[in-house]
Amino acid sequence: MPASARQPGGQATAPTLELVDENGAAVLYLGGGWRVADSERIADDVARLALAPDATIVLDGSRLAQMDTSAAFTLMSRLPANARFSVRAMGADETRLIELVRSSMRAEPVRAQLKRPGLVQKIGEALVDTAAKLGGHTAFIGEVAVQLLAILRRPSLFRFKETVAQFQSVTVEAVPIVILVTFLIGVVFAYLLGVQAQRYGATIFVVDGVGLAICRELSPILVAVIVAGRSGAAFTAQIGSMKVQEETDAISTLGLSPIQVLVIPRLVAIVVGLPLLVFVGDLAGVGGGVLIGALQLGISPQSFVARLHAVLPLSALVIGIAKAPAFAAFIAMIACRMGMSVARDARSVGEHTTSTVVQSIVWVIVLDAIFAVTLQKLDI
Amino acid sequence: MDTVLEVVDIVTRFGSDTVHDGVSFSIPRGEVVALIGGSGTGKSVLLKEMIGLMRPTSGRVRLLGTDVQGASEDEMNALRRRFGMLFQDGALFSSLSVADNIAVPLREHTSLPESLIAPLVGFKLSLVGLAPDVGKKAPSQLSGGMRKRVALARALALEPEILFLDEPTSGLDPIGARAFDTLVRTLSDSLGLTVFMVTHDLDTILSIIDRVIALSTGKVVANGSVADVRRTEHPWIQEYFSARAAPSGKST
Repeated sequence: MPASARQPGGQATAPTLELVDENGAAVLYLGGGWRVADSERIADDVARLALAPDATIVLDGSRLAQMDTSAAFTLMSRLPANARFSVRAMGADETRLIELVRSSMRAEPVRAQLKRPGLVQKIGEALVDTAAKLGGHTAFIGEVAVQLLAILRRPSLFRFKETVAQFQSVTVEAVPIVILVTFLIGVVFAYLLGVQAQRYGATIFVVDGVGLAICRELSPILVAVIVAGRSGAAFTAQIGSMKVQEETDAISTLGLSPIQVLVIPRLVAIVVGLPLLVFVGDLAGVGGGVLIGALQLGISPQSFVARLHAVLPLSALVIGIAKAPAFAAFIAMIACRMGMSVARDARSVGEHTTSTVVQSIVWVIVLDAIFAVTLQKLDI
Repeated sequence: MDTVLEVVDIVTRFGSDTVHDGVSFSIPRGEVVALIGGSGTGKSVLLKEMIGLMRPTSGRVRLLGTDVQGASEDEMNALRRRFGMLFQDGALFSSLSVADNIAVPLREHTSLPESLIAPLVGFKLSLVGLAPDVGKKAPSQLSGGMRKRVALARALALEPEILFLDEPTSGLDPIGARAFDTLVRTLSDSLGLTVFMVTHDLDTILSIIDRVIALSTGKVVANGSVADVRRTEHPWIQEYFSARAAPSGKST
């Protein structure tokens, strides 16, 4: 009967509790359905009975339709600790259930949230974390350098296929977005510059401005940021999920170096690819300038190109492209290092990927500032 | 004995691939049932179809009196509170502590105050044989066996009438696996809980299972007590049970 008394659905009757004094024993008549959702009511009802601490308690189940462990636990945990205790008129299932609950009664309340650190602790942790990150980066750079040397000594270790595959995804597949972004920046830059220059009738100088700005600064920075977001994030996510699946450990176990298999192909692909992308960005950006020159400023494409040829120093183009490998190396090292340091849970991959994008963009801009100041001092 | 789960003529196709070709069986309340079958016979798919995570090509599942395929979203939500599911690797929420993981169903589906939830969480931990201080840990700090126990505590939080287990002992050492088996059996006996599991573990089947359902080539090829199924003259079933019967094959 007890099992079949469990009604389907949630329409069980509410729990009832009645205290009857029979020859000095406190008999509790349990009735209706005792369910986890009624725990609050049960706790209140039991508290209202105000049982003596040393009472003799008998639980009578003759009116009980149903009882689950949570409800039973709530009832039993509110009964006086020293009471003598017995059950009667319970179905076999309910008796077993109460036995089970009694055997687990020592349970303490557990209310634990994962700890949220305070401000001071956060600052401290961030500091320690940054120091550890810098140390880790340094060690990682050393490791990669050692492996690069090993490859230089034995070129057969170099994974040509993997490198080409990475090159494809880092460079070739990034061309459309690079063209789109740098072209639009060229358009906007030429347009804003043109509005100013037109006032002085100096529209032809727009060519100087666009050429210099795009080739020396805008294209390298923008393309590096795009690649950091696109490929840096991808590197971390790929290597990170391989780490979670223990694939990196499998690589080591097979006697291969994860750095050689995973990091160096990516590093080479991006260091070779980024300067090429910057050159593509130069062309597209200048192309945007040409378009605005022709449409808004009355500079024909022919005279735009002729002027560009005359005023744009080769050094500007070279500096722009030469910065790219440095940016690329930083992006690749940060991305691969963050991927390799992923912990074994799903959330970690996401956190590390975000961190890669933020760190690499910051470093690209810091590097660019260093380049600008250094080159200025060197009068280049 | 009333029927808690009824599977009628389930057909599942993925493209031209027929996984289930008319699978039918029913489960009485209180039984501990194992679904077995070789890899690729669609055991996990069937499990997902039973609890409404996947839709079969045709056929229907009646779970606790509700037609799973025909139920509205509200009816499904009401049904979801009445069964528990233990995923293979626990599927604990990694951003929450163990205690919060167990408290999630209580917080979402009941209006109990925190002062009652905390003791209940402690009780559930104790019920699955874990110490209270496990509650303070993050899921990533737990061993495989502990993760499964915590997941079981979470699945039991709303006092389900039927519990689905997907390979409950996979990835556990034999001692941990047997302890988990015993725990499941004890809970089933004490709570009148119906347990439906997909398993490969012959030790589980030989120790705690009331009914075995064997799937092969898209059909149920055996359905009955362990002893009955063992006697079935089906090549896969014979091979399955003999994988254990002759452990000392080469010795004299």
